[in-house]
Amino acid sequence: MGDLDLAAGSELNMNLIWASILIPVATAAVIAVANARAARGLAAVGSLASLGALAAFAWQFPAWSTGGVSPEPGGCAWIASINATLGIGFDSVSLLLALLEALLIPICVIGSWSAITDRQREYYGWFMLLHASILLAFAARDVLLFYVGYEFTLVPLLFIIAIWGGPERRQAAHKLFLYTFLGSLFFLGSILFVGWQHHASTGLWSWDMGTLSSFASTRLPANTQYWLFAALLAGFAVKVPLFPVHTWLPLAHNQAPTAGSVILAGTLLKLGTYGIFRLALPMAPEGGAALAVFAAVLCTVAVIYAALICWVQTDAKKLVAYSSVSHLGICMLGLFALNPIGAQGSVLYMINHGLSTGALFLLIGMAYERYHVKDMDQIGGLAKRMPVWAFFMVFFTMSSIGLPGLNGFVGEYLCLFGTYIATGDASTKYPGLLGPGFALVAGTGLILGAMYMLLLVGRYVFGPLREPKADSHGKHGHDGSHGHDAHGADHGDHDGHGDLTGREVGLLVPLALVCLFIGIYPKPILQAIGPVVERTLAPYPAAVERALMSKPQATEAVQAQAKEDDRG
Amino acid sequence: MNPIDPQLPPGDPLVMLGLLASAILFAVGIVGFLSRRNMITMFLCTELMFQGAGLAMISYGRQHMDLSGQVFVIFILTVAAAEAALALGLVVLLYRRKETLSAEAWKELAES
Amino acid sequence: MIAAPAMLSSVLALAEGPLDAHAAPELRWAGLALLLPLASSVLCLLCGWLKVRSKLPAALTIAALGGAFATILRLQGTVGETPVVVNLFDWIDLTWGDGSRFHGFTANVDLYIDRLTVFWMLFVTGLGTLIALYASEYMESDVGKGYTRFFGAVSIFLFAMGCLVMGGNLVMLYLGWEGVGLASYLLIGYYFTKPEAVAAAKKAFIVNRIGDLGLALALFLIWQCYGTVEYAALWKAIEAAPASSEWTAQAIPWLLMLGAFGKSAQLPLYVWLPDAMEGPTPVSALIHAATMVTAGVYLIARMFPLFVVNPDALAAVAWVGGLTALLAATIGMAQYDMKRIWAYSTISQLGYMFLGLGVGTTFGASYHVFTHAFFKALLFLTAGAVMHGFAGQLDIRKLSGLLKVPGFRLVSVLAVLGCFWLAAFPFTAAFFSKDEILVSAFTAKDDRVHLLGWIGLLVAALTAYYTFRVCFRVFFGPVKFEPGHELHGHDDHDHAHDAHAHHGEFHPHGPRWAIRVPLVLIAIGAILAGWPSYRTMLHHDESNWVKTQVAQSSAFQGVAAESHGSLDGHAASSHASAHTEDAHADHGHLVLGMDAHTAVGRLGSLACIVGILVSLYVHLINRGTADALRRTLMGTVATRWIVVGAERKWMVDEFYDWVIRLPLRVIANILSAIDELLLDAGIVNGIGALPAAVGRVFRPLYGGVVQGYAVTMAGGVALVAAWVIWIWLRGAN
Repeated sequence: MGDLDLAAGSELNMNLIWASILIPVATAAVIAVANARAARGLAAVGSLASLGALAAFAWQFPAWSTGGVSPEPGGCAWIASINATLGIGFDSVSLLLALLEALLIPICVIGSWSAITDRQREYYGWFMLLHASILLAFAARDVLLFYVGYEFTLVPLLFIIAIWGGPERRQAAHKLFLYTFLGSLFFLGSILFVGWQHHASTGLWSWDMGTLSSFASTRLPANTQYWLFAALLAGFAVKVPLFPVHTWLPLAHNQAPTAGSVILAGTLLKLGTYGIFRLALPMAPEGGAALAVFAAVLCTVAVIYAALICWVQTDAKKLVAYSSVSHLGICMLGLFALNPIGAQGSVLYMINHGLSTGALFLLIGMAYERYHVKDMDQIGGLAKRMPVWAFFMVFFTMSSIGLPGLNGFVGEYLCLFGTYIATGDASTKYPGLLGPGFALVAGTGLILGAMYMLLLVGRYVFGPLREPKADSHGKHGHDGSHGHDAHGADHGDHDGHGDLTGREVGLLVPLALVCLFIGIYPKPILQAIGPVVERTLAPYPAAVERALMSKPQATEAVQAQAKEDDRG
Repeated sequence: MNPIDPQLPPGDPLVMLGLLASAILFAVGIVGFLSRRNMITMFLCTELMFQGAGLAMISYGRQHMDLSGQVFVIFILTVAAAEAALALGLVVLLYRRKETLSAEAWKELAES
Repeated sequence: MIAAPAMLSSVLALAEGPLDAHAAPELRWAGLALLLPLASSVLCLLCGWLKVRSKLPAALTIAALGGAFATILRLQGTVGETPVVVNLFDWIDLTWGDGSRFHGFTANVDLYIDRLTVFWMLFVTGLGTLIALYASEYMESDVGKGYTRFFGAVSIFLFAMGCLVMGGNLVMLYLGWEGVGLASYLLIGYYFTKPEAVAAAKKAFIVNRIGDLGLALALFLIWQCYGTVEYAALWKAIEAAPASSEWTAQAIPWLLMLGAFGKSAQLPLYVWLPDAMEGPTPVSALIHAATMVTAGVYLIARMFPLFVVNPDALAAVAWVGGLTALLAATIGMAQYDMKRIWAYSTISQLGYMFLGLGVGTTFGASYHVFTHAFFKALLFLTAGAVMHGFAGQLDIRKLSGLLKVPGFRLVSVLAVLGCFWLAAFPFTAAFFSKDEILVSAFTAKDDRVHLLGWIGLLVAALTAYYTFRVCFRVFFGPVKFEPGHELHGHDDHDHAHDAHAHHGEFHPHGPRWAIRVPLVLIAIGAILAGWPSYRTMLHHDESNWVKTQVAQSSAFQGVAAESHGSLDGHAASSHASAHTEDAHADHGHLVLGMDAHTAVGRLGSLACIVGILVSLYVHLINRGTADALRRTLMGTVATRWIVVGAERKWMVDEFYDWVIRLPLRVIANILSAIDELLLDAGIVNGIGALPAAVGRVFRPLYGGVVQGYAVTMAGGVALVAAWVIWIWLRGAN
């Protein structure tokens, strides 16, 4: 293939990306008119086809080691009057996240086969649209297109939670929608502002991420960048979610159907972290440097705060939901270390968190399907009934608490490492602003993480077998107003709380294998992330040095140095 | 104002009379609309307000020596006629539902 | 194929088989020591998957561990005086930037093989094999149930221990460090339906995590100070800049210590080890006595160059070790559960090892690790055999005279032998290793640690007492026993010999060959462990095998420099021969007017014999005395606390519960309430309710009466009109 025409290759790549995005849309359309019984099969086929297209693209992807974007920026016009385009393309970071999404969606779809029994067409249709919009967001190189993908995810998710969720599903969906929508407004306002500034300054409209980033980072004054970063951070922080704006997450997770939780933890939250990585950091380096410490404090607080809250939860799903807040605190901390180690760790952490937390939600969902209880006061010791389930539960717990050899370790460790060495030592290339104090405090999250996750395992998986009374099965956890009583059909007999079926094991094994692979051999992924991270952080050393200068002690040091120079 | 525009001197009696009449028509319409509950009466009152507004347009058209005002009114009359047919049809339908013409009967259409 | 993905080619490079001996540079086959246990754990997983109902997993594990042992034996013959680094495959290899100090971070899957590595791996894999053989019979009631899980976890343990010991950098060590923690967690919690076992497993993992955090931070610091975490490069960096006064460099040993104390159950973090006895006995023997808990000693020995430059840290290690030894010994004296007593004795002996490290004799510490591994494994395994035969009975008050019970003679004899070793009876292996440590304590240059020599002697006496307390109670005296209530440990499976449960008809069943053979072999190993010292004693030959092994490693880097006081000696010492003078060879110190070696030898023997004699009287000749003494002590308020304190383990668990866990729990509950009530229900929902509240003010206007809407509209128009008129009037003025 060495003689392959570059343009043709680019076109092929472009088509593959569009295929991966549009196949789910087409699937949704077919599902809408198809027989309800065929919906789940169609959705599985569609999501697998989308995965296939994206995998084919990843196979062709020429920029694994260069950090570049492929296909080249540019695309057909979308809103011609302001020069918005349908520009799409991946670099290795967004491609990895998109691959994670494409991997999780078939798992979600097939995982819902037994859990979702009513209104199947709508369910799978919405899921396909959700998939398409998330992929679109990751693929977009045009900020407006990114916004569309980013924002449209809320619509399918709203329906998925509000129709197929738990007893408080309406409130959860409502809160999720309004809260994250509010955050998105900050983000929309910021990018419109930057686009307008670009127009005012150059006379041209452009919404290309690269163009806007280089424009904003070089041409906007530091004060403007400060507010720009603050607004973008405020916008994405809700989605991540960072500490004070996280409260929608536990509720949404707790009420969402299993697959909804998986995709929410797996990739939707990553849209927030990805947004900070892709837009906030490159657009406003001065702001990023100025606000890094503030953001890092929030992250650190989140790590401890959420971990302690996890520790006193009795609801298994809520525990894992809060653990997301804690984990993403570490993830973001690595990003705000503003050096390649931390940022590489952070990106890897995004993937890892998606895998292990997604799998944990899946596992809790599988147990929930059998018992319709997730309160650990009422249920526990399930290892006796379901040894295979218990095996996977322990496996992914270990992945989640960062056992070396599994995926969680590498990301977590690099995040903390990056934080640790970001001491503001000007002799290094990436001085950073954080330092050992942050690493130490966030590092206690490792201990707390082990505490709450082992509490979960100790009560839910191990210990004496505690099962809810058989006669309460039909009612528990339902409010009766709607379906999802799958047990009526599939698990009618109460003695049939069997272990995982082949289908369920088949869902978990790929995730486990990926976890193992990343844990044992993260090098290719880290190598792929590296150049992108370095490109993103390119303006930071200078910005951080300026931020360091503005600190009083730094000023003093400089003055002392100047005095010495004078004497000399 | 464009100085080339021809314009009658202020205080032309016909214009003043027309404006006065339009004000009276509009006031009668609004008072009627607010005070009556009978849907047909209310509808008639809206028509009165319409015509008041139309009359004002014609008067100002004369003041400015411009026919656009009259053109507009002809348009409005046409639309109002179509609207009247529609509205009266609706009123008949509503009457059939509740056997009354009172607007109070349809309170439940409120948002809250 | 320009678009050929870089990721995949890397994967293919992996698939080509870095562990493949044929394609490797000469020592790549050493990776088998890691690969075999790993393969065995995978195969055990497969067995579990296929629901194998035979002893196949045990056979696989034994074969794999035996293979690993053979690999290490061969390595022992191959490895010379210089350490070797064997790269298996690249793991974390990050580079960036422009050659400034923080320009890259490399931690590959390398093996760093020197004599210390081989020494450690020899007893780890050797004992591992024997104990796996033992367990194949011990766990047989679980065949088809937990059997595969057990052996899978044992294989994981051996793999992780291999990474810990053989890894070529600190990240590999950390991998092994947490890996053994996982294996320990899985095995302590083996009887997972038992809440105590689950709680103990959790406790072990979490307490170890505290230490792990220390280790992780130390790793960051080492990288920050020396720019690398790979041993080979690290020693060079330390040589180039041995002593840095920066706080970062100063903090490294303290953080490493935290890690070591967590894993090796030393003073602030020892509380998990006694509880860990909830696991099956072979696990207690292998992991919680012989091998895993010595990882902390290995860590400090391996990183000794970093400790040598910091005398304060060394003194702290010594003191923590000494005090732990004392504390654990006092608790051990007052317990009744045989396994718990051995657990406390393990903590106490580990304390000796740290004492040895702290006073600079890495050789003494490593030697004690070595001898301890054998006799403690022996003691645990015999305890397990007793427990196995007597339906879970471990209470030393309910077992007596086992020497005379048919089928238990061999076990009893071996257990009594083990007691002699543990008590460091003169001319047993442990006597020599303990001697080495205590002599160094007396002769150390640092005055602050001399007192520890005396504490060490006191502990020796206490050890002899409590060891023979068990020995005389259980194995001597009249034959008398009550069976336990549980079948085979803590298993609750409803099967088999419930006929035994009737007290009257209880017939203890003795162990078969798979238990006897390892016991005998381990006993032989324990005897042979003293061989180097016998040689030294008989031939006045200083070329002690253990010392050679330890000396040709990083553990001796700096030790010799201390005694020579010269930097060039320091540089040479890393590969120095065993003939290098050890710190204790400094004969200038006198203890009680005698040469330190002679004095400690005599005092140690005396302490041991006094302890045994007291025990002999109180627990064999006149068994009533012990209870009488206890009653007397309990009778007086002034002395009551001694008994209660020792029996209730000085309330350390309760203390931690009240001072750490409870406040944390309260804070967590408060935070949870804040999160739900203040943040979510208060602020977020409050803001959400704001628009609705505003709307409610205007709601009466929109009650569905058409005129209402009209009034607001007309009112609005009127307001606008009034405003326009007002503007107009103002303009008119």
